[in-house]
Amino acid sequence: MDEKKAALMQRLETEAAELMRQIRAEADIEKKKKLIVKRDSIQRKLTATRNNRRISRETKRDLVAYSFIAPNFIGFAVFTLVPIVFAFLLAFMNWDGSNAISFVGFDNFKRMPTDTFFLAALKNTILYVLGTVPLTMIASLALAIVLNQKIRARGFFRTVAFFPYVASLAAITAVWSMIFHPSKGPVNYILYKVFSVPQDQLPKWFSGSLVLVTLVLFSVWKYMGYYMVIYLAGLQGISAELYEAGSLDGANTWQKFCYITWPQLRSTTFFVVVMLTINCFKVYDIAVMLAGGGDGKLSTSATVLVYYIYQNAFNYWDLGYSSAIAMVLFVMVLIVTLIQFRYEKKLEA
Amino acid sequence: MKRRLVSVMLSTVMLSTVLAGCGGNTAQGPVAETPAVEEPTEAETSDAGESAEEPAAAADEEITLKWAIWDKDITPYWQAIKDGYEATHPGVTVEMTDLGATDYMTVLATELSGSGSDFDVVTIKDVPGYATLVSKNTLEPLDSYIADAGIDLSLYGGVDSQVRVDGNLYELPFRNDFWVVFYNKDIFDAAGVDYPTNDMTFEQYDELARKLADPTFGSQVYGTHYHTWRSAVQLFGVLDGKHTVMDGNYDFFRPYYEMVLKQEDDSICRNYADLSAEGLHYSAAFSGGDVAMLNMGSWYISTLIASLASGEYDTSLCGNWGIVKYPHAEGVEPGSTLGTITGLAVAGVSDQKDAAFDFVEWVSGPEGAAVMAATGNFPALMNDEISEIIAGLDGFPTDEASREALSVSNLYLEVPYAEKVSEVNDILDTYHKSIMNREVSIDDGIASMNTEVEKILAQ
Repeated sequence: MDEKKAALMQRLETEAAELMRQIRAEADIEKKKKLIVKRDSIQRKLTATRNNRRISRETKRDLVAYSFIAPNFIGFAVFTLVPIVFAFLLAFMNWDGSNAISFVGFDNFKRMPTDTFFLAALKNTILYVLGTVPLTMIASLALAIVLNQKIRARGFFRTVAFFPYVASLAAITAVWSMIFHPSKGPVNYILYKVFSVPQDQLPKWFSGSLVLVTLVLFSVWKYMGYYMVIYLAGLQGISAELYEAGSLDGANTWQKFCYITWPQLRSTTFFVVVMLTINCFKVYDIAVMLAGGGDGKLSTSATVLVYYIYQNAFNYWDLGYSSAIAMVLFVMVLIVTLIQFRYEKKLEA
Repeated sequence: MKRRLVSVMLSTVMLSTVLAGCGGNTAQGPVAETPAVEEPTEAETSDAGESAEEPAAAADEEITLKWAIWDKDITPYWQAIKDGYEATHPGVTVEMTDLGATDYMTVLATELSGSGSDFDVVTIKDVPGYATLVSKNTLEPLDSYIADAGIDLSLYGGVDSQVRVDGNLYELPFRNDFWVVFYNKDIFDAAGVDYPTNDMTFEQYDELARKLADPTFGSQVYGTHYHTWRSAVQLFGVLDGKHTVMDGNYDFFRPYYEMVLKQEDDSICRNYADLSAEGLHYSAAFSGGDVAMLNMGSWYISTLIASLASGEYDTSLCGNWGIVKYPHAEGVEPGSTLGTITGLAVAGVSDQKDAAFDFVEWVSGPEGAAVMAATGNFPALMNDEISEIIAGLDGFPTDEASREALSVSNLYLEVPYAEKVSEVNDILDTYHKSIMNREVSIDDGIASMNTEVEKILAQ
C-alpha cells in the first residue's frame, strides 16, 4: 500500500519537475499558460496523495456544485437534450414510431419544395412573424411611454393593458370570434352601418387572406401588455438627468425620444425583439383556436409550421419528415437570432 | 464569440423544447369523422349493475382483460358490455382504461408503440386511427380467429370489406351509425308542406328545403342545416356506389357543393363561415326549433330522446320530430347512406389473445348487439329484431316512415380503409373548409383536392 503510494508520488514528482523545466524553456506565452495549468493539476494530485485524500479539494468543490445542478440537468437531459439530439437524427430517417427505422439521407428535405402544405405553412409563419414582431414592439413601447407618465389611474390602465396576456386563451379567442363574427359581430356591424360596406362585401375575418391579419392583430393585442412591462422597467432605468440636460439644450419631445429614450432602451429593445421573434415562430395555439373552426384543422390560408409538424408526427406518424420540418424551423430561428446578436454587438462596439 | 454562439444555440434549443411541449397537449379533435363523443349522457340503463356480482367461485383460472375505451362516465354502454360479458363468463374480469375522447386514437397509438403497454383489447374509434395502428403492426389479424369461431361476416352488411387491409381484417365492428335526415314536423305542419319521404331524390330534398325556408326577421326558419364536417356535404357524392373518398378524383363532389352553396346564398341554410366562427353545434341548431331538416348520424337519435326526456331540449321547439332515409341521386336505389363504425381489436402485445378474441366476438355478436340496442345505440349487427328494440324505445317517433328509415340497404363508410387515409382525410377536410369559406371557387377547391391527393397516393 505504502509502496504503491510512494511510487505514485515519485512518478508525479518527476512529471511535475519535467513540466517545470518545460515551462522555463517555453517562450510562447500561450503554450506556457497551458503547461502551467497542467502542472497545477499534477501538483494538486500530489497534495491529495500526500494527505491520503481520495479526491482533491477542487474535485470535491466541483462535485458539490454539480450535485446542485443535477436535479435540473437530469430532467433537462432526459426530457429535452436526448429528444432534441434524437430529432436531429430522425430528420434523416424514416420512422413511424413502431417499425424499423431506415436511413433516407436528405429525402425528407427534398420533399419540402413540392409540398403545398409545407410551403403554405412556411409562408404563413414568416408573414405572421413579419407582422407581429414590429407591431407588438411599437405598440408595447408606445404603451410603456404613455403609462410611464404620471397620469391619473395609471395602475389601472397598466393592469388593463396587461390583462390579455394573463387571460385564458380559450376565453379570449371565444370573445374575438364573436366580435369579428362575419355576420353578427359588432365590427362588421359598424362597417355595415357606419361605413356603408355592402353586406356581401363585409370582411370574413377568419378565412381567406384576412385570417393572417386577424391572427396578427390578436397576437399584438395579447402580447403587448407583457412587453410593455419590460419596456416600463427599461424606461425607469433611464436617468432623469439625461432628460434634464436635454431640456437645457432645448431638445423637444421628439428629439428627446430619438437621442435619449431610444438609444437608452437599446438593450431592452434587443431583448424584446429576440423574445418576440422566438415566440412568434412557434405560433400554434392562437392559430388553431382562432382559425381552426369546429375541428381545429387549419386550411392553407392559416396553417403554420408547428401545426404541420404536429400533423405529421401524430396524425400521419411520419416522424422523420416532421423532425425535418422542425429542423427547418430551428435553423430559421437560429439564423434570425444570430443576426440580431451580431447587430447588437456591432452597436455595442 | 464562440461562447455567444453556444448560448444562442442553447436558447434556440430551449425554444424547440417549449415547442415540442406545446404540440402534445393541443391535439385537436377526432379525425373529422363523426365523433363517437356524441354519446348521450342519459342515465345508466337498466342492466348496468356493479361488477361485484361477478360469480368468481366457478373459475379455475382467473383472467383479467385490459380494455382501452374513452369517456367512461358519459357513455352508457361500456359498463353495460362489461357487466354483460362478466356475467356470462365466470372467472373473467374486464378492466377498462379510459384514454379520453379528444385524442383517443393518438394516445392509443402512442401507448401501443412502446413495449410497456399491456392492453388485450382496444376499441377502434375511427378508420384513420385504425390505419395507423395497422401500419404500426400493433394489432393482431383476426381472420384465423374468425374462421375458427365460424363467424358469419355477411351479417355486418359488407362494412367489414371496407376496413380490410391487404385482405386481412384487424377489427370487428360492434357499433354502427348511419346517416339519416332528421326533420321537425311542427315546421312542416306550420308551412303546410308534406313530410319528407324515405325515397326522396336530391332535387326533391332541395325543393323541400326551399319551400320551408322563411327569411323573415324574427321568425326566421332554415329549410335545412349542414354541420361543419365535410361528411355533411361532400359525402352525398359517394352514395351512388360508384365513387369513394379514396378515388383521387373528386369531380363528383361538385353538384353537392353547388347545391349547398346556392342554398347558403339564398338563406335556405345557415352559412358555413358563421357556423365555424361561433362553433354552433348541430344539436343546438336543431333543438332551437328553426331548422326544418338536418342530415346527421343515427347517434343523434338517442341524444334527442334523452335530452327531450330530461327537459334539456324544449319539447315545444323540437319535440315533434321524425327521421327519413338519406336522399338519393336520380337513378340510384334509395336507402344508401353513410356510416361510421366503432370496432374492437386484439392488441398484438397481448399474451392472452384467445381470451381477448372471445370478448371481441361476444361484444360484436348478437349478445353484445342486444346490450347496445338496449342502451339506445346502434350495434353493427343490425337485423329486424334490433331495429324493433330501437324503434320501441320510449320517445322514438311513432310514424311508419321513421321506423322504416332504420333499415339501410347500402352502407358506405365515411372513411373506408386505405393506406394513406389520414393524409387524404386531412386534405379533403382542408379544402372543404376553403370551399365552404369561399376562399376558393368550387372548381379550384376540387382541383386542389385532386392534385394533392394524387401526390399522396403516388408516394
